[in-house]
Amino acid sequence: MNATGIPLKEPTVSAAAGDMEQLERAYIDASTRVPVLIFYTSAMAWLVLGTLLAGFVSWKLDSPDLLSDISFLTWGRVRPAHMNVMVYGWASMAGIGTAIWLMARLCRTLLRYPLLLVAGACFWNLGVLLGVGGILLGDSTGYQWLEFPGYAAVILFVAYTLVVSWAVLMFRYRRGEQIYITQWYLLGAFLWFPWLYAAGQLMLFVVPVQGVLQSAVGWWYANNLLFLWFGAIGLGTAYYMIPKVIGRPVYSYHLATIGFWTYALFSSWTGMQRLVDGPFPAWMITASIAATILTMIPVATVGLNHHMTMQGYFPLMRYSPTLRFTVFGAMSYTVFSVIGVLISLRSVARYVNFTQASIAYSHLGLYAFFTMVIFGSMYYIVPRLVGREWRYASLIKLHFWASAYGIGLMTLMLLAGGFLQGVDMQNPTLAFSESVETALPYLRGRSLSGILLAAAHFIFAYHFGLMLLGLGRTSTVPTFLNPVEAETSGGH
Amino acid sequence: MKGLASLFLGIFGTFAFSWVGLTVIPNWQIGHLNPQSDEEGTDIYPQPQSGMAERGARVYAANGCIYCHSQQLRADYAANDIERKWGDRRSAPRDYIFDRPVFLGKMRMGQDLANIGARAPKEQESAPPGGAAAVAASPSPATSPVKAPAASSASPAPKALTSPAPVGASASPPPAAATAAAGSPAASPSPAGAPWPVQTAGEPPMYSAAWHHVHLYSPRSINVDSNMPSYRFLYQNRRISDARSADAIQLTGSDAPPEGWEIVPTFDAKCLVAYLMSLNQSHPLKDVRSAEGAPAAPAPAAGSPPPASPK
Repeated sequence: MNATGIPLKEPTVSAAAGDMEQLERAYIDASTRVPVLIFYTSAMAWLVLGTLLAGFVSWKLDSPDLLSDISFLTWGRVRPAHMNVMVYGWASMAGIGTAIWLMARLCRTLLRYPLLLVAGACFWNLGVLLGVGGILLGDSTGYQWLEFPGYAAVILFVAYTLVVSWAVLMFRYRRGEQIYITQWYLLGAFLWFPWLYAAGQLMLFVVPVQGVLQSAVGWWYANNLLFLWFGAIGLGTAYYMIPKVIGRPVYSYHLATIGFWTYALFSSWTGMQRLVDGPFPAWMITASIAATILTMIPVATVGLNHHMTMQGYFPLMRYSPTLRFTVFGAMSYTVFSVIGVLISLRSVARYVNFTQASIAYSHLGLYAFFTMVIFGSMYYIVPRLVGREWRYASLIKLHFWASAYGIGLMTLMLLAGGFLQGVDMQNPTLAFSESVETALPYLRGRSLSGILLAAAHFIFAYHFGLMLLGLGRTSTVPTFLNPVEAETSGGH
Repeated sequence: MKGLASLFLGIFGTFAFSWVGLTVIPNWQIGHLNPQSDEEGTDIYPQPQSGMAERGARVYAANGCIYCHSQQLRADYAANDIERKWGDRRSAPRDYIFDRPVFLGKMRMGQDLANIGARAPKEQESAPPGGAAAVAASPSPATSPVKAPAASSASPAPKALTSPAPVGASASPPPAAATAAAGSPAASPSPAGAPWPVQTAGEPPMYSAAWHHVHLYSPRSINVDSNMPSYRFLYQNRRISDARSADAIQLTGSDAPPEGWEIVPTFDAKCLVAYLMSLNQSHPLKDVRSAEGAPAAPAPAAGSPPPASPK
């Protein structure tokens, strides 16, 4: 800890031991450089593309006659293209990048077999490219988050096999007996995803189940992708970054264990609540509603654990970009889960079913929680890979506030618009079109939030580009959001 | 801290639990339904789609119709889908046994389409195996009566969309309306008939194949407030060679092609319309109660009452 009482750098134990550890870490970080940067750079490119597609979707919703002669720009193709670019291009690739780095650090061993990862990244990019191209050319399968046509799905699966075999190999070479909680989540994510993806593909396209069960499998897949893939990587990352930045161990390891197993058990049973009142046996939907309510247990334990770890260290969010993004994401996990419970209750679900509210829910999970945590981890990891510090504190601040306000506004607009739309839809004295008319102003508000998010992404992409080109600051001190000396000498 | 083996076991165990519980058991429960039939083994429902409708389903998937339209009706205790005259009974798993993919849908920025084919004018209602015949018949004389007042349709085209008429109609007690409609098999789209209060002058009969083509090509020519994208890329603008093609869609106002040109649907557009015309869950199912309460109505008359509120 430094003189101000705020551990702005990692605590140095003793000179010799500390140096050894620092050196070891530096070597491990250097060994992850190429694969992680390939994943991050690809993810950034997809993020920018996905943002542009989102803008186009939003614009088309407002001017439905726009460019209607061009088949691949029709709204119903660009929308799934946007979704899949964000899910498989941005979120998955950035998540894998962070997971690789965390794996190497936590296994305390140099990254081996980097070619597996480089090949994995290439195949993954190819898969997403073909998949998005396929959607735009009219090959979409029509299942949410599984729109990629078969040829792209196969390539994506190959890419994934390369990455996961690397993770398992890496795990075998780990040093030290203890397996940190982050590794639990990461191992879980790495092992759940292939099963999930294979099960989804097989049950929908290879030996398709009958009728409505296809929808059930589709939603089972989509929800588990959100929880067991993105959620697991996000929570694992938060469990690493928060204690790391503030230089303090996790508050309770016991709580973390409970949180992990209840998370795995309950969140994997959610999904069917989205089919509420649909043509299904009622027990399926009830089981998922019950599971959704039970996810409050992991939410409470994880939330409590993070909160108690942070206790007394919240002022650090003023300085550390990583901490600010990560804590925002971790808090959003709670919000996301609570809203998930609220809109799954039958009495509420009847009003928000078939409305924009479900889009708010997906964005809360995928953006407010997962993406914000990943942004935080990138602010931590990238300087350690390129040997430069972030150049402009102001750009980081802009990025944070544009993202935070953007996603906040989007959630509010979609939830409020969705709820009012649902109330109108449930009112038989109003024509159906009234419910759509009700939602439209909120969708315009949503477009406004999209502008904020787009600004955030372009700023971050620019900043990231500077780092890649070696134009970051050369310094041993990380980039803080606010000048540390001036603030702390007066305030504390 | 548990050992590594139990960690792996737990990771697989939790997931296997979910996989079995939410996909395998439901598949065992409702994954092998057969069509229903009456005692003689006739009147089989549902039946597989025809080739054109099947291809139309792929067009539907490719162009993302599912992101705005659902194809499922909820029970009357849960929602007012039935009161809105989108159908006379809730959807059941058996309705979808031949669908692949299934488009239950999660969003209603447009109306539910589960019964859109059932709303077609009687003479165009698709025969059991799908809508190929309906499409072939679409530009036939059925559309002739509406050609005359085309000129008058310029300004009042979108009328009745906000008029109170459909609202009032849909607010009336559903059983009465349903029996009234079922009792008069002549519930045809005659202009005087109350069931069609929103028939727009100058347009083909609502929910006919020709109407679908106009609607897909130019949604706002039918409903000025619609925010459905127009699917012009599914249509071809071509010069009339000797006679106007029988397929050409009837457009008015600013959408109309210049003199000597015509707009004809591509094969994909015809398939899509065939698919839409084939969407029909009006056949009674033994699994669920129909709005009339008696699912014994003979099959030919099973066309659901025309909707009072079309959008």
